[in-house]
Amino acid sequence: MQLERPESVDAAVAALADGRALAGGTELVPLLRDGILEADTLVDVRDAVPRGISGGTIGAGTTLAELEASPEIPAALREACRLAASPQLRNMGTIGGNLLQATRCWYWRLQFPCRLHGGDICHAHEGQHREHAFFANDFCASAHPSDPAAALLALGARLRTDRRELEIAELYRLPTEDDRSTTTLAPDELILELELPEVEASTYLKAMDRQRWAFALVGVAAARVGGETRIALAGAAPIPWLLSGPGELDEATPLEGTAFKVEIARTLVTRAIASL
Amino acid sequence: MARLIRSEKEVEGRYEEVWTLVEEDALDQWSAGPGAVVGRDAPRLDGYEKARGEARYTGDIKLSGMLESALLRSPYARARVAKIDLAAAAAAPGVFAVIGPGEVWGVDEEVHFEGGAVAGIAAETLAQARAAVELIEIEWEELEPLLDADEAVKRGSTIQDSRSYERGDYEQGLAQAEAVVEAEYTTQTLNHNPLETHQCVCEWRGDSLDVYVSTQYIWGLRRDLAEKLDLPQDKVRVICEFMGGGFGAKNGIGNYLLLAAELAKRTRRPVRCALSRREENVVGGNRNATRQRVTAAARADGTLTALGGEYTCALGWEGWLPPTAGPVQLLYACENVKTVEHGAKLNIPPMAAFRAPGFVEGTWSLECVLDKLAAQLGVDPLELRKLNYAHADTMDGRPFSSKNLMECYRRAEPHWERRHEVRARSDEIWKRGIGMASQSWYGGGGPPSYAWVRLGSDGRANVVTAMQDIGTGTRTAMAMIAAEELGLPLDRVEVQIGDSARGPFASISGGSSTLPSMGPAVRSAAADAARQVVELAAQRFEREEGTLALQGGNIVCSDGGSWPLEEITALLDDGQILGKGARGPNPAGMRVLTFGIQLAEVAVDVGTGEVRVEKIVAIHDVGRVINPLGARSQIEGGVIQALGHTFSEHRLDDPRTGTVLTKTLDAYKLPTIADVPEIVCDLVDEPDTHLTNLGSKGLGEPPIVPTAAAIANAIRDATGADVTSLPITREEILRALREADAKTKRKEPVAAGTS
Amino acid sequence: MPSLRVNGHDHTFDAPVGQTLAETLRDDLGLTGTKIACGEGHCGACTVQLDGIPVLSCITLVHTVGEREVTTIEGLKDHPLVDAFVRTDALQCGFCTPGQIVSAAALVASSPSPSSDEIKHRMAGNLCRCGTYPRIEEAISSWQG
Repeated sequence: MQLERPESVDAAVAALADGRALAGGTELVPLLRDGILEADTLVDVRDAVPRGISGGTIGAGTTLAELEASPEIPAALREACRLAASPQLRNMGTIGGNLLQATRCWYWRLQFPCRLHGGDICHAHEGQHREHAFFANDFCASAHPSDPAAALLALGARLRTDRRELEIAELYRLPTEDDRSTTTLAPDELILELELPEVEASTYLKAMDRQRWAFALVGVAAARVGGETRIALAGAAPIPWLLSGPGELDEATPLEGTAFKVEIARTLVTRAIASL
Repeated sequence: MARLIRSEKEVEGRYEEVWTLVEEDALDQWSAGPGAVVGRDAPRLDGYEKARGEARYTGDIKLSGMLESALLRSPYARARVAKIDLAAAAAAPGVFAVIGPGEVWGVDEEVHFEGGAVAGIAAETLAQARAAVELIEIEWEELEPLLDADEAVKRGSTIQDSRSYERGDYEQGLAQAEAVVEAEYTTQTLNHNPLETHQCVCEWRGDSLDVYVSTQYIWGLRRDLAEKLDLPQDKVRVICEFMGGGFGAKNGIGNYLLLAAELAKRTRRPVRCALSRREENVVGGNRNATRQRVTAAARADGTLTALGGEYTCALGWEGWLPPTAGPVQLLYACENVKTVEHGAKLNIPPMAAFRAPGFVEGTWSLECVLDKLAAQLGVDPLELRKLNYAHADTMDGRPFSSKNLMECYRRAEPHWERRHEVRARSDEIWKRGIGMASQSWYGGGGPPSYAWVRLGSDGRANVVTAMQDIGTGTRTAMAMIAAEELGLPLDRVEVQIGDSARGPFASISGGSSTLPSMGPAVRSAAADAARQVVELAAQRFEREEGTLALQGGNIVCSDGGSWPLEEITALLDDGQILGKGARGPNPAGMRVLTFGIQLAEVAVDVGTGEVRVEKIVAIHDVGRVINPLGARSQIEGGVIQALGHTFSEHRLDDPRTGTVLTKTLDAYKLPTIADVPEIVCDLVDEPDTHLTNLGSKGLGEPPIVPTAAAIANAIRDATGADVTSLPITREEILRALREADAKTKRKEPVAAGTS
Repeated sequence: MPSLRVNGHDHTFDAPVGQTLAETLRDDLGLTGTKIACGEGHCGACTVQLDGIPVLSCITLVHTVGEREVTTIEGLKDHPLVDAFVRTDALQCGFCTPGQIVSAAALVASSPSPSSDEIKHRMAGNLCRCGTYPRIEEAISSWQG
């Protein structure tokens, strides 16, 4: 394995043609060491990707710890970062990397031949799945773990990559028989910046098994943007889940062991909206 | 005089009759209350070494030429090696030796649980060893695993015969009762997860084996290794200077040790074998899951007429049946008791003792069902416990060596009285309540245990004994005991432990027994040294021995004379005064137990099932307290581990394959600092006047025993909901709340708080 | 050969890309105060500071450290928190303790008198199986700089 450290976006993208992007390393390094991912070349993109907060613009290389501490950041995102992972992981992990983190599904992490690994069954359906999805879980019941992604989805953030601008919702796709990926990012595409709209009010509420350092059983982000209230969920579906409204929870499709998550989501959505 | 006695030996609630060499314990106990050193807060002697990262753990040992090793383990719960080819692995870069199935104890062709080892490789680096393991060509024949404990018991697949116990007439007890409560409870599989995984370094020196290892029992390991390797015991030297926790998982031998020893023999190099965190979470040992059906029956006033329990323990492929029925048998005076315990033998990794094994699980169900009974009868739960107080051993009528549980109850009263105030602070979201649970456990220790005390010419003492300090601070406690006896300030006492070649036999760090076993031996050794000092001083200063004593680093005489200790020890030049001490017998015909009660204050978010424990009050009776600072750490540590057991820790197995899914510490959730409530510690510091020359019992385990039940009872007090399974997850709370709600709607009495 | 600045000293190291900072510190530089307890970023025992910020050395690739100054427990031996931890008995088996102190040192550097909530928030990534947390909180709230 070799490591490159390009200093410009162009050089980074060129290097990514046959390499993997490395920023905070909190996700990539363990996955490499587990053999879930392989790479001949690691591309340390920290010199190429913007870092820092300026008005509504956030460099994708900004760490979760920096976002958590910034008064410029809307409450939902700040709180989502504050309640994410552990302090050390927040010090290391970047917001760009966080949006791309893989599920915590134990079957996937332990390399059961599941659908996300190209296999033909979802082991969680008949197996242990209390931390799994209750929306869009038929093909794959994995739950997306990112708290900040849910917050950004509710806030209506836009992303700028080296080649396009997109709504954050467009970054994600549900895995299908033909394409098991959960993002629309090209292998050599780099997220560079996030753009936030003017936010009137926002909040993030998270249910987890510990007070800190646990992935969301359910995370609820709510934001009022341009008079409109938007709600998004973490830990609810294979991707961050935009909820059309509280009523959509009636259409949830929980597995036997994730029904409790819907109940929690109902409470947290009500509380989140009330707090705006 | 040395004496051979036939006595009961107890470790982790397991009794056996053994011959024991004991020496008379002629010393009177110190008077109650703090002494010059004992009974006063002392920071641990090895605190700086640990805090500065200087303490050398097994993983920090680097011997010249040392190789690393890795094991090939079964990914299946049950399988047979159909074909194995080690050639490619043996030829891999850096590889020095490869061991296949059948070549070492515990490394076999047939595996009976996930993680069973079939091969091992020693290589220059760990990465090379692991890479070589990947090159082993293996074909597995998968076999159908047995995973269900009830099914196993039905089929007769048990580790040992089911254990039945009955006293009085249980059926009649039920018939006499005004109220009978029967309920089913479950507990989960829990992993010890000491932060330092199981690991060792084996080095042959000639025909002797040195084993650096993270162990709770240097001498047990020495014995077992010698036996398995067919060596005289003195050819095996076991060294454990520091260890990063064990909690029962490191009491015994493991195949990784034999593998390292064999690889070291073949390569003629030292070999390290260290389990990864994931291996630790599979084969490192566990607290077995249980399913329990418990019955409590009482007269209208709350007098218990019958207690019963049926317990099914999912032990795994190996292990032993822990005393899950112990609390029902021991905790309360009840004439009619009937229990049966089944230990299912399954294709899951073997259980190991885990901090008060059996009693943690059994206390959870008993103390929950008791509160339900109290609610049904309208009797105050604390009164119910007082009313059924056992004044003598409930199993055979023996008197207790000491029991101050009533004093614990008395001290619980002001906390219990806060319940109305606590409940009144409930609001729409957060419902608040208080619950309690009692506790009993062993912890008396026993002989044999030995210590030496060396007194040098500089007037400093060194306690020498080959025990290990698992992290509880026993090293410091030993120094305090010696300092107290020698009249020395603590900073003039060193302790040398952790090496079977450099000290006498010492007992296991398990069963809350280290302090009560080792402490009396150390005191006895210090007293032996002190006696010699007095004898010499009497000659040197021409005084009667009876007029002399050691105090504050001086030899003092009742006539007012005082000489620094060094005035005598300096006469020795390079010589030393050697004191020798042994642990005396436990009091004959008495039952030695530890006791306590804990109260929990909780807030329950009824909308999300979140429980916040706001306070735990832990009141325990363990005899004389040697180091109040260290004792407090033990209580807090036990309670915090119990909080993990209660809420967030759960080893989840895949139901189809029987393999462990929570192998990593993101999925197996230990408590963090943010999960810790206020913990109030209160020790009834009364020496057990019948127990040894110290009057101290162990404190390692008692604090973990009652916490879960106290919390569950508090949840019921707050919400009326009966939680019945551990861990108390959000789904369990929401389920219990729904159940309580349905009962209310049917206008059934909810077993909520009694007032 | 790449170099690493650790506790004020420069070291060169020779390692394949993919080796972690924790491995380099322990195996190549002999700085064994940094412990590896999970090896995958979950427990905090391996915590070191990079330019004063606590990170997990077991999932930090050594080649990505670059110019940043590494501070390990060996560089904090004289920190007053060491006294505070010993005095309050904020350690039992001691295996997590170096990582705790490295995290705590960064905390008190940015917030000399942290509140209980702040301590709990900033120390939640350092697991202690012995349960020394109340003592750790006391050590951090009572340290004397």
